[in-house]
Amino acid sequence: MKRIEALRVITERTPDLPVTATCAATSRELAAVADRDNHLYLLDAMGLTVSVGTGVALGIAGTKVSRSVVIDGDGSLLMNLGAAATAGYLAPDNLVILLLDNGVYASTAGIPTQAEKLDLGAIAESVRLKVLRAADTTELGNALQRTLAEPGPWFVHVRIEPGNEPGTPLLLIDPVVHADRFRRWLTDRIAA
Amino acid sequence: MSTTTQQRHKNVVEAVLGMDPDAVAYVPSNSIAAIINGLIDNAGPDTRVFPVSREEEAVGVIGALPLAGKFGVIVMQDNGFGNALTALTTFATSYHLPVLILANTRGGLGEYNSMIHSISAPVPDMLRAANIPVFGLDRRNSPEDWQATVTEAGKHARMTYRPVVVLMEFFDFNDKESRA
Repeated sequence: MKRIEALRVITERTPDLPVTATCAATSRELAAVADRDNHLYLLDAMGLTVSVGTGVALGIAGTKVSRSVVIDGDGSLLMNLGAAATAGYLAPDNLVILLLDNGVYASTAGIPTQAEKLDLGAIAESVRLKVLRAADTTELGNALQRTLAEPGPWFVHVRIEPGNEPGTPLLLIDPVVHADRFRRWLTDRIAA
Repeated sequence: MSTTTQQRHKNVVEAVLGMDPDAVAYVPSNSIAAIINGLIDNAGPDTRVFPVSREEEAVGVIGALPLAGKFGVIVMQDNGFGNALTALTTFATSYHLPVLILANTRGGLGEYNSMIHSISAPVPDMLRAANIPVFGLDRRNSPEDWQATVTEAGKHARMTYRPVVVLMEFFDFNDKESRA
Protein backbone atom coordinates (compact mmCIF):
# COMPACT_ATOMS: atom_id res chain seq x y z
CA MET A 1 0.00 0.00 0.00
CA LYS A 2 1.34 3.42 -0.96
CA ARG A 3 0.97 6.33 1.43
CA ILE A 4 -1.44 8.11 -0.89
CA GLU A 5 -3.64 5.01 -1.02
CA ALA A 6 -3.78 4.96 2.77
CA LEU A 7 -4.61 8.67 2.80
CA ARG A 8 -7.50 8.09 0.40
CA VAL A 9 -8.94 5.51 2.80
CA ILE A 10 -8.53 7.89 5.72
CA THR A 11 -10.11 10.89 3.98
CA GLU A 12 -13.10 8.81 2.91
CA ARG A 13 -13.91 8.10 6.56
CA THR A 14 -12.99 11.39 8.22
CA PRO A 15 -14.79 14.28 6.46
CA ASP A 16 -16.39 15.39 9.74
CA LEU A 17 -13.48 14.87 12.15
CA PRO A 18 -10.41 16.97 12.98
CA VAL A 19 -7.40 15.39 11.28
CA THR A 20 -3.87 16.46 12.26
CA ALA A 21 -1.17 15.44 9.79
CA THR A 22 2.59 15.32 10.14
CA CYS A 23 4.80 17.59 8.10
CA ALA A 24 6.30 17.39 4.64
CA ALA A 25 5.20 14.69 2.16
CA THR A 26 2.37 13.34 4.31
CA SER A 27 0.67 16.73 4.62
CA ARG A 28 1.29 17.49 0.95
CA GLU A 29 -0.21 14.20 -0.18
CA LEU A 30 -3.16 14.58 2.21
CA ALA A 31 -3.90 18.03 0.77
CA ALA A 32 -3.56 16.61 -2.73
CA VAL A 33 -6.13 13.92 -1.94
CA ALA A 34 -8.51 16.36 -0.24
CA ASP A 35 -7.76 19.83 1.08
CA ARG A 36 -10.49 20.25 3.65
CA ASP A 37 -11.16 22.67 6.49
CA ASN A 38 -10.99 19.79 8.98
CA HIS A 39 -7.34 19.13 8.08
CA LEU A 40 -4.54 20.61 10.18
CA TYR A 41 -1.21 20.37 8.39
CA LEU A 42 1.85 20.67 10.64
CA LEU A 43 3.95 22.23 7.93
CA ASP A 44 7.30 22.20 9.69
CA ALA A 45 6.58 21.21 13.28
CA MET A 46 8.78 18.14 13.49
CA GLY A 47 7.73 15.33 15.80
CA LEU A 48 4.76 17.22 17.17
CA THR A 49 1.82 15.46 15.51
CA VAL A 50 0.82 13.11 18.31
CA SER A 51 1.21 15.91 20.87
CA VAL A 52 -1.00 18.27 18.87
CA GLY A 53 -3.55 15.54 18.23
CA THR A 54 -3.61 14.78 21.94
CA GLY A 55 -4.21 18.46 22.65
CA VAL A 56 -7.07 18.52 20.15
CA ALA A 57 -8.50 15.39 21.82
CA LEU A 58 -8.43 17.15 25.19
CA GLY A 59 -9.96 20.25 23.64
CA ILE A 60 -12.94 18.42 22.12
CA ALA A 61 -13.58 16.07 25.05
CA GLY A 62 -17.22 16.16 26.05
CA THR A 63 -18.32 17.92 22.85
CA LYS A 64 -20.17 16.67 19.79
CA VAL A 65 -16.87 16.21 17.95
CA SER A 66 -16.25 12.54 18.56
CA ARG A 67 -12.63 11.94 17.57
CA SER A 68 -9.24 13.59 17.14
CA VAL A 69 -7.53 11.79 14.27
CA VAL A 70 -3.74 11.92 13.92
CA ILE A 71 -1.74 10.90 10.86
CA ASP A 72 1.88 10.44 11.84
CA GLY A 73 4.94 8.81 10.31
CA ASP A 74 7.51 6.51 11.88
CA GLY A 75 10.26 9.12 11.65
CA SER A 76 8.11 11.79 13.22
CA LEU A 77 6.94 9.57 16.07
CA LEU A 78 10.48 8.40 16.78
CA MET A 79 11.53 12.02 17.05
CA ASN A 80 9.17 12.44 19.99
CA LEU A 81 8.35 9.01 21.42
CA GLY A 82 7.44 10.60 24.73
CA ALA A 83 4.32 11.94 23.02
CA ALA A 84 3.02 8.37 22.77
CA ALA A 85 3.73 7.86 26.46
CA THR A 86 1.79 11.01 27.30
CA ALA A 87 -1.11 9.91 25.10
CA GLY A 88 -1.14 6.58 26.93
CA TYR A 89 -0.92 8.34 30.28
CA LEU A 90 -3.73 10.79 29.56
CA ALA A 91 -5.67 8.07 27.74
CA PRO A 92 -8.17 10.24 25.87
CA ASP A 93 -10.75 7.78 24.57
CA ASN A 94 -11.39 10.02 21.56
CA LEU A 95 -7.83 9.86 20.19
CA VAL A 96 -7.04 7.89 17.03
CA ILE A 97 -3.38 7.76 15.98
CA LEU A 98 -2.77 6.38 12.51
CA LEU A 99 0.92 5.61 12.14
CA LEU A 100 1.98 5.29 8.51
CA ASP A 101 5.17 3.27 8.87
CA ASN A 102 7.46 2.82 5.87
CA GLY A 103 10.68 2.43 7.87
CA VAL A 104 12.29 5.45 6.25
CA TYR A 105 12.41 9.22 6.36
CA ALA A 106 10.54 9.40 3.07
CA SER A 107 10.61 13.19 2.95
CA THR A 108 14.37 13.29 3.37
CA ALA A 109 15.82 11.02 0.70
CA GLY A 110 14.41 7.77 2.06
CA ILE A 111 17.06 7.34 4.74
CA PRO A 112 16.18 4.47 7.11
CA THR A 113 14.61 5.16 10.52
CA GLN A 114 14.93 2.96 13.61
CA ALA A 115 11.55 1.51 12.63
CA GLU A 116 13.49 -0.61 10.17
CA LYS A 117 14.24 -2.82 13.20
CA LEU A 118 11.77 -1.67 15.88
CA ASP A 119 8.09 -2.54 16.14
CA LEU A 120 6.37 0.77 16.85
CA GLY A 121 3.07 -1.03 17.40
CA ALA A 122 4.65 -2.98 20.24
CA ILE A 123 6.00 0.26 21.69
CA ALA A 124 2.50 1.75 21.49
CA GLU A 125 1.11 -1.28 23.32
CA SER A 126 3.69 -0.78 26.05
CA VAL A 127 2.39 2.73 26.70
CA ARG A 128 -1.20 1.50 27.02
CA LEU A 129 -2.53 2.53 23.62
CA LYS A 130 -4.99 0.16 21.97
CA VAL A 131 -3.16 -1.18 18.96
CA LEU A 132 -4.56 -2.43 15.67
CA ARG A 133 -2.47 -3.38 12.66
CA ALA A 134 -3.11 -2.89 8.95
CA ALA A 135 -1.09 -3.87 5.91
CA ASP A 136 -3.50 -3.06 3.07
CA THR A 137 -6.36 -0.71 2.32
CA THR A 138 -9.03 -3.19 3.40
CA GLU A 139 -7.40 -3.76 6.79
CA LEU A 140 -6.89 -0.04 7.24
CA GLY A 141 -10.53 0.66 6.41
CA ASN A 142 -11.72 -1.96 8.88
CA ALA A 143 -9.38 -0.74 11.60
CA LEU A 144 -10.42 2.86 11.07
CA GLN A 145 -14.08 1.94 11.21
CA ARG A 146 -13.52 0.24 14.56
CA THR A 147 -11.53 3.13 16.03
CA LEU A 148 -14.29 5.56 15.12
CA ALA A 149 -16.91 3.37 16.79
CA GLU A 150 -15.21 2.10 19.94
CA PRO A 151 -13.45 4.05 22.71
CA GLY A 152 -9.67 4.45 22.46
CA PRO A 153 -7.04 5.74 22.71
CA TRP A 154 -6.22 3.95 19.47
CA PHE A 155 -2.96 3.40 17.66
CA VAL A 156 -3.27 1.85 14.21
CA HIS A 157 0.10 0.60 12.98
CA VAL A 158 -0.17 0.86 9.21
CA ARG A 159 2.53 -0.65 7.05
CA ILE A 160 3.09 1.32 3.84
CA GLU A 161 5.64 1.27 1.05
CA PRO A 162 8.61 3.64 1.08
CA GLY A 163 8.45 6.55 -1.34
CA ASN A 164 6.41 9.62 -2.08
CA GLU A 165 3.74 10.28 -4.68
CA PRO A 166 5.45 11.94 -7.66
CA GLY A 167 4.25 15.36 -8.69
CA THR A 168 2.57 16.26 -5.38
CA PRO A 169 2.58 20.07 -5.14
CA LEU A 170 4.19 21.94 -2.27
CA LEU A 171 1.87 23.26 0.44
CA LEU A 172 2.52 26.98 0.13
CA ILE A 173 0.03 28.25 2.68
CA ASP A 174 0.24 30.82 5.44
CA PRO A 175 0.16 28.89 8.73
CA VAL A 176 -1.83 31.66 10.41
CA VAL A 177 -4.55 31.51 7.78
CA HIS A 178 -4.41 27.73 7.83
CA ALA A 179 -4.71 27.52 11.62
CA ASP A 180 -7.61 29.97 11.55
CA ARG A 181 -9.42 27.88 8.93
CA PHE A 182 -9.06 24.78 11.09
CA ARG A 183 -9.95 26.61 14.31
CA ARG A 184 -13.12 28.09 12.80
CA TRP A 185 -14.18 24.70 11.47
CA LEU A 186 -13.51 22.99 14.82
CA THR A 187 -15.04 25.60 17.12
CA ASP A 188 -18.12 25.81 14.89
CA ARG A 189 -18.50 22.04 15.21
CA ILE A 190 -18.03 22.19 18.97
CA ALA A 191 -20.64 24.94 19.27
CA ALA A 192 -23.15 23.25 16.97
CA MET B 1 4.46 31.03 58.95
CA SER B 2 5.36 31.08 55.30
CA THR B 3 8.49 32.52 53.72
CA THR B 4 8.43 35.05 50.91
CA THR B 5 9.33 32.28 48.47
CA GLN B 6 6.48 30.11 49.67
CA GLN B 7 4.14 33.09 49.32
CA ARG B 8 5.33 33.60 45.73
CA HIS B 9 4.59 29.96 45.00
CA LYS B 10 1.07 30.37 46.35
CA ASN B 11 0.47 33.57 44.45
CA VAL B 12 1.59 31.99 41.18
CA VAL B 13 -0.80 29.09 41.79
CA GLU B 14 -3.62 31.54 42.48
CA ALA B 15 -2.80 33.50 39.34
CA VAL B 16 -2.82 30.39 37.15
CA LEU B 17 -6.03 29.00 38.58
CA GLY B 18 -7.55 32.47 38.43
CA MET B 19 -7.29 32.43 34.64
CA ASP B 20 -9.31 29.20 34.60
CA PRO B 21 -7.06 27.20 32.26
CA ASP B 22 -8.36 24.06 30.60
CA ALA B 23 -5.04 22.25 31.11
CA VAL B 24 -1.61 22.68 32.65
CA ALA B 25 1.34 20.60 31.43
CA TYR B 26 4.51 20.49 33.46
CA VAL B 27 8.12 19.41 33.31
CA PRO B 28 9.35 19.60 36.88
CA SER B 29 12.05 21.49 38.69
CA ASN B 30 12.77 21.62 42.39
CA SER B 31 12.13 25.36 42.42
CA ILE B 32 8.62 25.01 41.05
CA ALA B 33 7.63 21.76 42.72
CA ALA B 34 5.48 23.72 45.15
CA ILE B 35 3.71 25.43 42.24
CA ILE B 36 3.07 22.15 40.45
CA ASN B 37 1.83 20.48 43.61
CA GLY B 38 -0.32 23.52 44.38
CA LEU B 39 -1.89 23.28 40.93
CA ILE B 40 -2.45 19.53 41.25
CA ASP B 41 -4.04 19.95 44.68
CA ASN B 42 -6.20 22.98 43.93
CA ALA B 43 -7.23 22.71 40.29
CA GLY B 44 -10.93 22.26 39.73
CA PRO B 45 -12.44 19.30 37.90
CA ASP B 46 -12.33 21.13 34.56
CA THR B 47 -8.57 21.72 34.66
CA ARG B 48 -6.22 18.85 33.83
CA VAL B 49 -2.77 19.11 35.35
CA PHE B 50 -0.39 16.52 33.92
CA PRO B 51 3.27 15.70 33.26
CA VAL B 52 4.89 15.51 29.84
CA SER B 53 8.20 13.98 28.85
CA ARG B 54 9.82 17.06 27.36
CA GLU B 55 9.02 20.71 26.85
CA GLU B 56 8.26 20.51 23.11
CA GLU B 57 5.56 17.99 23.93
CA ALA B 58 3.98 20.54 26.22
CA VAL B 59 4.03 23.09 23.41
CA GLY B 60 2.27 20.60 21.13
CA VAL B 61 -0.44 19.54 23.56
CA ILE B 62 -1.11 22.92 25.19
CA GLY B 63 -0.59 24.82 21.94
CA ALA B 64 -3.35 22.77 20.29
CA LEU B 65 -5.98 23.80 22.84
CA PRO B 66 -6.71 27.22 21.29
CA LEU B 67 -7.58 25.44 18.05
CA ALA B 68 -10.55 24.06 19.99
CA GLY B 69 -11.28 27.40 21.68
CA LYS B 70 -9.46 26.41 24.89
CA PHE B 71 -6.41 27.71 26.75
CA GLY B 72 -3.57 26.15 28.68
CA VAL B 73 -0.43 26.83 30.66
CA ILE B 74 3.02 25.25 30.69
CA VAL B 75 5.13 25.11 33.85
CA MET B 76 8.77 24.23 33.23
CA GLN B 77 12.42 25.10 33.83
CA ASP B 78 14.23 27.58 31.61
CA ASN B 79 16.87 25.11 30.39
CA GLY B 80 14.00 23.31 28.63
CA PHE B 81 13.67 26.12 26.11
CA GLY B 82 16.56 24.47 24.29
CA ASN B 83 14.22 21.55 23.73
CA ALA B 84 11.14 23.63 23.05
CA LEU B 85 12.37 26.27 20.64
CA THR B 86 11.56 24.49 17.37
CA ALA B 87 8.07 23.61 18.57
CA LEU B 88 7.51 27.15 19.83
CA THR B 89 8.60 28.78 16.58
CA THR B 90 7.20 26.36 13.99
CA PHE B 91 3.92 25.71 15.78
CA ALA B 92 2.79 28.10 18.53
CA THR B 93 4.29 31.25 17.03
CA SER B 94 3.71 30.44 13.37
CA TYR B 95 0.10 29.34 13.89
CA HIS B 96 -0.62 32.26 16.31
CA LEU B 97 -1.56 30.08 19.28
CA PRO B 98 -1.71 31.68 22.74
CA VAL B 99 0.14 29.76 25.44
CA LEU B 100 1.33 30.99 28.84
CA ILE B 101 4.68 29.53 29.83
CA LEU B 102 5.95 29.90 33.39
CA ALA B 103 9.57 28.88 33.84
CA ASN B 104 11.92 29.11 36.77
CA THR B 105 15.43 30.29 36.00
CA ARG B 106 18.66 28.42 36.55
CA GLY B 107 22.24 29.53 36.28
CA GLY B 108 21.90 32.79 38.18
CA LEU B 109 22.72 33.74 41.76
CA GLY B 110 22.55 30.81 44.12
CA GLU B 111 22.99 28.26 41.34
CA TYR B 112 24.89 25.16 42.42
CA ASN B 113 25.18 23.52 38.99
CA SER B 114 28.26 24.89 37.26
CA MET B 115 27.10 23.80 33.79
CA ILE B 116 23.47 24.83 33.61
CA HIS B 117 24.23 28.52 33.08
CA SER B 118 25.44 27.59 29.58
CA ILE B 119 21.85 27.12 28.46
CA SER B 120 19.95 29.14 31.05
CA ALA B 121 21.84 32.44 30.81
CA PRO B 122 21.17 32.92 27.07
CA VAL B 123 17.48 31.94 27.30
CA PRO B 124 16.00 35.47 27.46
CA ASP B 125 18.03 36.56 24.45
CA MET B 126 17.21 33.33 22.60
CA LEU B 127 13.49 33.84 23.16
CA ARG B 128 13.59 37.51 22.21
CA ALA B 129 15.56 36.63 19.07
CA ALA B 130 12.71 34.26 18.22
CA ASN B 131 10.22 37.10 18.80
CA ILE B 132 8.70 35.44 21.88
CA PRO B 133 7.73 37.96 24.59
CA VAL B 134 9.56 37.48 27.91
CA PHE B 135 8.70 39.01 31.26
CA GLY B 136 10.78 38.58 34.39
CA LEU B 137 10.14 38.22 38.11
CA ASP B 138 12.77 38.13 40.83
CA ARG B 139 13.47 39.00 44.47
CA ARG B 140 12.79 42.68 43.83
CA ASN B 141 9.15 41.89 43.10
CA SER B 142 6.66 41.37 45.90
CA PRO B 143 4.51 38.23 45.93
CA GLU B 144 1.63 40.46 44.80
CA ASP B 145 3.74 41.58 41.84
CA TRP B 146 4.37 37.93 40.96
CA GLN B 147 0.66 37.18 40.97
CA ALA B 148 -0.25 40.28 38.96
CA THR B 149 2.49 39.69 36.38
CA VAL B 150 1.51 36.06 35.81
CA THR B 151 -2.13 37.10 35.47
CA GLU B 152 -1.31 39.86 32.99
CA ALA B 153 1.02 37.58 31.02
CA GLY B 154 -1.84 35.13 30.59
CA LYS B 155 -4.06 37.94 29.30
CA HIS B 156 -1.23 39.12 27.04
CA ALA B 157 -0.88 35.68 25.48
CA ARG B 158 -4.60 35.51 24.73
CA MET B 159 -4.92 39.09 23.51
CA THR B 160 -1.90 38.83 21.21
CA TYR B 161 -2.37 35.22 20.06
CA ARG B 162 1.13 34.04 20.86
CA PRO B 163 3.22 32.18 23.39
CA VAL B 164 4.29 34.42 26.28
CA VAL B 165 7.01 33.50 28.77
CA VAL B 166 7.39 34.56 32.39
CA LEU B 167 10.83 33.80 33.80
CA MET B 168 10.74 33.41 37.57
CA GLU B 169 14.02 33.80 39.48
CA PHE B 170 13.51 32.34 42.92
CA PHE B 171 16.89 33.21 44.43
CA ASP B 172 16.36 35.60 47.33
CA PHE B 173 19.17 36.40 49.75
CA ASN B 174 16.54 37.32 52.34
CA ASP B 175 15.02 33.87 52.21
CA LYS B 176 17.07 30.81 53.16
CA GLU B 177 14.34 28.59 51.77
CA SER B 178 14.69 29.93 48.24
CA ARG B 179 16.48 27.57 45.89
CA ALA B 180 18.06 27.64 42.49
